[in-house]
Amino acid sequence: MKKTFVWIFLTVISLISLLPFYLMIMMSTYVTEDIFKGLPFLPGDFLLENLKTVFKGNFIQVYVNSILVSVSAVVLSVITSSLIGYAIAKFQFRLKNFLNYFIIVTMMVPTQVGLIGYIIEMRHLGLGNTLWPIILIWMAFPFGAFFMVQFVKDTVPNEIIECARIDGCSEPGIFFRIVMPLIKPGLATLATLVFLWSWNNYLLPLVTINNQSMFTVPIYVSNLGIVHRTDYAARMAALAIATVPVLIVFLLGSRTFIKGITAGAVKG
Amino acid sequence: MRRGKLFRNQATVWPYLFALPFVLAYAVFQLFPVGYSFVLSLHDWNGIGEKTFIGLRNYVDLFTKDPLFYKSLFNTIILMLMSLPVMIILGLLMAYMTFNLLKGRRFVQTVNFLPYITTPVAIGFLFSFMFDWQTGTVNELLVRLGWTEEKIYWLQDPFTSRIVIALMIVWRNLGYFMTIYLAGMTAIPQDVYEAAKMDGSTGFHTFRKITMPLLRNITVFLVVTSVINGLQLFDEPKLLYGGWSGSAQVGGPENAALTVIWKFVDDSFISNTQFGYGSAIAYALFMIIIVFSIASYRLTSGKGDRT
Repeated sequence: MKKTFVWIFLTVISLISLLPFYLMIMMSTYVTEDIFKGLPFLPGDFLLENLKTVFKGNFIQVYVNSILVSVSAVVLSVITSSLIGYAIAKFQFRLKNFLNYFIIVTMMVPTQVGLIGYIIEMRHLGLGNTLWPIILIWMAFPFGAFFMVQFVKDTVPNEIIECARIDGCSEPGIFFRIVMPLIKPGLATLATLVFLWSWNNYLLPLVTINNQSMFTVPIYVSNLGIVHRTDYAARMAALAIATVPVLIVFLLGSRTFIKGITAGAVKG
Repeated sequence: MRRGKLFRNQATVWPYLFALPFVLAYAVFQLFPVGYSFVLSLHDWNGIGEKTFIGLRNYVDLFTKDPLFYKSLFNTIILMLMSLPVMIILGLLMAYMTFNLLKGRRFVQTVNFLPYITTPVAIGFLFSFMFDWQTGTVNELLVRLGWTEEKIYWLQDPFTSRIVIALMIVWRNLGYFMTIYLAGMTAIPQDVYEAAKMDGSTGFHTFRKITMPLLRNITVFLVVTSVINGLQLFDEPKLLYGGWSGSAQVGGPENAALTVIWKFVDDSFISNTQFGYGSAIAYALFMIIIVFSIASYRLTSGKGDRT
């Protein structure tokens, strides 16, 4: 009795979680006029046509832009975060405690506070209306630094570093050849998180980019109403191919991802 | 103190060099803009012409002459109050149920986590379609099930539009709350439960007396971070009203969906380019976030005796 209730409850909530995705995919397989004829619960046969309509636009360009931004963001943030994480976790130096607190304080400042200043700065640097502003913001990602400090502390034994040092390994060599391989799982988690967050970022590209050829996926999606004015099915198809690949990436890496996202909460 | 011994002879420049890229990038791309925004908030500036220094007048105007600011703050807080308790209770309940599942634990978790990773922009769009009064799936369903005779104007009424936004927030974050609680439950050592069982505690009693108190820190974490994020709500309401129908509308019906960040973005970039005033809004929100996060921390962690 109790067990059945649990199953019903979980199934209902899970179905509600999935329903919008399901509707989105189903609607992208219809001719627009048919979407409104009834409840779109069964697949139609117009998917390919709708996809053709979508790809007539600059959708591929948009996708390339988003991938470019997210990959650069991942590389930059992972490098700077793991470097400072290693420094704070494994060295004794004068500013160690200060830097540790500095990272924690920076985590609490919302990016919107500096948004206007950032945009003006970017314009002065001649980077307005390029992809740079939405990439560079990730170069200093406080959560990443915080995460890496903890991760290096927990996973890299002091003895290994010391041995390498005695064997005459250079300091950068120790970092790249010994520390980096040891913290691979942490790097993977951080990379997934940054990829996702930079991919989904809407506010920053909204206010920095107004050139169509620089659009990222969220900006493109938010303009769908203007692009496909009456073609609801094409809009749904575009929405589907804008979101589904990310969901697949998540499904493939869901274990590391969930681990990373819970790391801060459970320890803290 | 083996550590001190190990690292005694390395008062080198290396740690500073390793920390430098992050610190430098932070200074250039975040600290400087934050400082610059503060300077701008003391000026009257439209982004193109001359800057005029006006002291604190932007802040005075914001708090005394802009009823829309209070309205947006009120909306943001209402939306938070409508969604946060639901997410906490449902999230905890779902985590508890899922934790005790013998099979399908990971499946339930993954399925419910999908909304959290979906682009909020897409969520706003999907919901504005589903809740459209004429063609929306929700009205269609309600009518077919015979629960209402007339279609409901979900997005045109201040009250129901807030419900839809709160629903969006809950739908998106429930899986996240559940996952965090689940991780917390996994971290509770098994012998605590065994000891409780020996003392004759079972089922719901164990949950209330043992699981919930041990998860207090996690609840604090969820509440505080949700308050911080909730005060910055923007994507979902903006997209709910931002163009499914082709015409962008600011604030929703009677501005019931206007959040502080939406007002900030609108005043500084979309309807207007008041960079000075916009910066003042951002700073005011920053201060409010600090106050609220401290208050919510005190409120959630202070109640009862903590162990």
